[in-house]
Amino acid sequence: MAKKVGVYICKGCGIGEALDVDALAKVASKEYKAPVVKTCDVLCAPEGIELIKQDLAGEGVNLVVIAGCSARVNYDHFDFGPEILVERVNLREQVVWTQPPDDEDTQMMAEDYMRMTLAKTKNLELPEPFIGENLSKAILVVGGGLAGMTAALEAANAGHQVILVEKESALGGWLNKVYKIAPLAAPFTELQDPDVEARVQAINDNPRIKVYTGATIASTAGAPGMFDVTINTAGGEVTERVGAIVLATGARPYDPEKLGHLGYGQFADVITQAQLEELVKAEGKVVRPSSKEEAVKVAFIQCAGSRDPEHLPYCSAACCVESIKQALYVKEQNPEAAVYVFYKDIRSSGQYEHFYKQAQMQGVVFVKADVESIEEGEGGKLAVNAQDLMMGAPTLLDEVDVVVLANGMVPSTLVDENLPPEEQTRILNLKYRQGPELPTLKYGFPDSHFICFPYETRRTGIYAAGSVRRPMDMLQAVEDATGAALKAIQCVEMTARGMAVHPRSGDLSFPEFMMSRCTQCKRCTEECPFGAINEDEKANPLPNPTRCRRCGTCMGACPERIISFKNYSVPMIGNMVKAIEVPEEDEEKPRVLIFACENDAIPALDMAGINRLNYSKWVRIIPVRCLGSLNLVWVNDAMSKGIDGVLLLGCKHGDDYQCHFMKGSELAGIRLSKVSETLDRLGLESERVQMEEVSIMDYDKIPGIIERFIEKIEEFGPNPMKGF
Amino acid sequence: MADNNVSSAPIKYDHNFAQEFFSTENGRLAQKCMQCGMCAVSCATKDLMDHSPRRLFNLVRAGKKDEVLGSNTMWMCTSCCTCKVRCPRGIPLVDVMHDLKNMAIAQNYVSYPQAAFYQAFWQEVLNRGRAFEGGVMARYYLKRGWGEIKKAFEMKDLGMSMLKHGRLPMVPPRKIKGLKELQQIIEKAQALQRKEAK
Ligand code: SF4
Ligand code: SF4
Ligand code: SF4
Ligand code: SF4
Repeated sequence: MAKKVGVYICKGCGIGEALDVDALAKVASKEYKAPVVKTCDVLCAPEGIELIKQDLAGEGVNLVVIAGCSARVNYDHFDFGPEILVERVNLREQVVWTQPPDDEDTQMMAEDYMRMTLAKTKNLELPEPFIGENLSKAILVVGGGLAGMTAALEAANAGHQVILVEKESALGGWLNKVYKIAPLAAPFTELQDPDVEARVQAINDNPRIKVYTGATIASTAGAPGMFDVTINTAGGEVTERVGAIVLATGARPYDPEKLGHLGYGQFADVITQAQLEELVKAEGKVVRPSSKEEAVKVAFIQCAGSRDPEHLPYCSAACCVESIKQALYVKEQNPEAAVYVFYKDIRSSGQYEHFYKQAQMQGVVFVKADVESIEEGEGGKLAVNAQDLMMGAPTLLDEVDVVVLANGMVPSTLVDENLPPEEQTRILNLKYRQGPELPTLKYGFPDSHFICFPYETRRTGIYAAGSVRRPMDMLQAVEDATGAALKAIQCVEMTARGMAVHPRSGDLSFPEFMMSRCTQCKRCTEECPFGAINEDEKANPLPNPTRCRRCGTCMGACPERIISFKNYSVPMIGNMVKAIEVPEEDEEKPRVLIFACENDAIPALDMAGINRLNYSKWVRIIPVRCLGSLNLVWVNDAMSKGIDGVLLLGCKHGDDYQCHFMKGSELAGIRLSKVSETLDRLGLESERVQMEEVSIMDYDKIPGIIERFIEKIEEFGPNPMKGF
Repeated sequence: MADNNVSSAPIKYDHNFAQEFFSTENGRLAQKCMQCGMCAVSCATKDLMDHSPRRLFNLVRAGKKDEVLGSNTMWMCTSCCTCKVRCPRGIPLVDVMHDLKNMAIAQNYVSYPQAAFYQAFWQEVLNRGRAFEGGVMARYYLKRGWGEIKKAFEMKDLGMSMLKHGRLPMVPPRKIKGLKELQQIIEKAQALQRKEAK
């Protein structure tokens, strides 16, 4: 494509008063020979847009450079359709709102940003979407419990074909195992029938849903839009092509054998919540398991195994509501029965506060206590010894018929690492180079960006919902399943248009590999946080563009620099670095380059501008898709150019990471540790390159972070490479 | 927080008293208490109470009948309603306190002067249809005995001054018209209360 650049400089929002706009225009027209350079009072106003549109039509401009506000605003005004490339020079938030007006250094900064953007446009190309072959918009739901059935119905009702796979011989999952369920609707006070038949009927009546029961997934190959899923069924193997997958395989109770300290295994009348359900289903009422007499005094022990560093460190989230429900079974059959619930905290979240109150009003006694032991008392009945935390005293509940342990849950994705690989639980059996199951973060729950993209696992197009994702109650599972179904729909629809899903939703670019120069080093396949790149026998990378989230981590990882996007590449950013004018040493104007992640650091920098916080005039900022896309050659470029320091601003990493690409900032940190080598080779202090974590809320800390870094750099003195 | 019991033996939970109290008209609503402590921090007379309202409800739950009915908490309650308006569970604490007072009186748990005063006042209203200060005083002293009369003498200056200003009538007022009906109304109300409690 022959590019014709049009540069449009806005004078609004204080830009015109603070900068010499004509001088800026000259940088574009004289230094960079931009054929069309115009200024405008208010570029986002109809006149401004019209001005640009006239040039698109009349002058054949097809690459529009907007010098004005941040790329994070007004992008809809400056969208001229898929054929026109748009680049933005952030004069407003990054220059005039953070720097003194009418100042030589402020002007230099603005001119540098103009140069950097125009340098980038040299290699810029229009992204052409990747459209896979034989795309499917069908959605596979794995797990036929409440969450799975909900997801299947929601997706089908939205018009998508659904394939529902359940390993048991009938749909229903946990619902089949319970006597009643906690209310799913207002007023949230009454026990509800699990109503499995009606739910299953709705599935069977829906012509868009195909159900396989007694079936498991033998393998999942392919990528979003093109998953080929082989299903083991009673009638043999079948293969289905689907576009996205909802994983709703739920959780299983925590192993009660590990709760011997609470009398489990020792006393027949100490049982788990699941066992109580079984018992009530069989007997029609709550009885003592040992004698089958009707129970008149029942104790529930909450957090049995949960919130306990020795067992499950987390809250299982549903057991409070389950115990409230089961306490009501007892009260329903005999209002005079004595029911005690020993708890740490009652976590009946959301509307279940009403349910909790209902149980209290029915006379269930809730005791905030640490249970110390369960013993056998007179007549074979049980005694619960506890430290009542509200009384501040040891207490005793004796003559108890049944003790029920709220033993919490573990996700079905939890793999027992002690078992040999062939015996470990496998659900999806992914044919991915990076392993057969979803990566987990902690406790066996699939990893996802917990705050921003809770459903999206680290395998694009595979969405976890319900208690496999995190511990939750049924009401939340229904909501979760609905959300995941929506995400799966978004995925198949976006994939059909060649667009990325979250977080760069709508992005049409994707990584391209110049394979002739690949050395099969495997860096890209290993580092891609989303398992997007497979490998052939010769270790050649096999990219799957629809699995890709366009973070650029592979591009940053590749030592041969053969991976690039049409609108984001190593040379493009390298050119930006090289376009910065570095003053001679005797001018005493240091230069610090900031690579800032577009997800949090750039918004924080913008917010610093919006709040008119002043920061150092020596910085030049380059936005990157993710710090993971940082290629070390840029640091090299900067250093050999004479830039005095490089600061990386990215998201928090670690267990409670905020990185939008999950591993990006962590990988950047690892790469950075290797940069010292390079710097040593150049005879430079390795601390000239540093990384800082910033979140979007940290905008007020930005000036301080920059200031401290610059002070440090000034201690080292100017980069000796200046002027070479 | 740790001074509810004196012995080191564990407190045994007793379901019977909890059930008994939770079947009174307003005591029923105290079942909803979630031990947040809002009432305790709101109450102006809490420092004079044996147990804060929150702790009292916890003692009910544990079944500590003697501690609950013998405590001064409900007698120290001034019915200011602060706790009632602040309780996140909407428990009408003032009314619960009334039920507790009734229960304590009915089961002979009290020797607090406030209890005698309550009873004297009620008797007076029941017999006359209106309160006569002299009558309330007489009934109160009869209940409380000689020690209390001695105390009354110490307050004679105040009494004289009130007399002079016509604040303390010497002669009992007439019974109200329709006293019978009033008594019937009260009886009916009490019957309703008993029914509510069921
Ligand atoms: S839901 Fe309740 S019982 Fe379960 S772990 Fe959380 S606090 Fe404990
Ligand atoms: S590292 Fe990022 S850009 Fe590269 S293939 Fe993986 S998801 Fe795509
Ligand atoms: S404010 Fe209400 S809920 Fe809280 S402790 Fe007092 S009575 Fe209980
Ligand atoms: S109504 Fe009684 S218990 Fe409640 S705050 Fe007032 S004095 Fe305290």
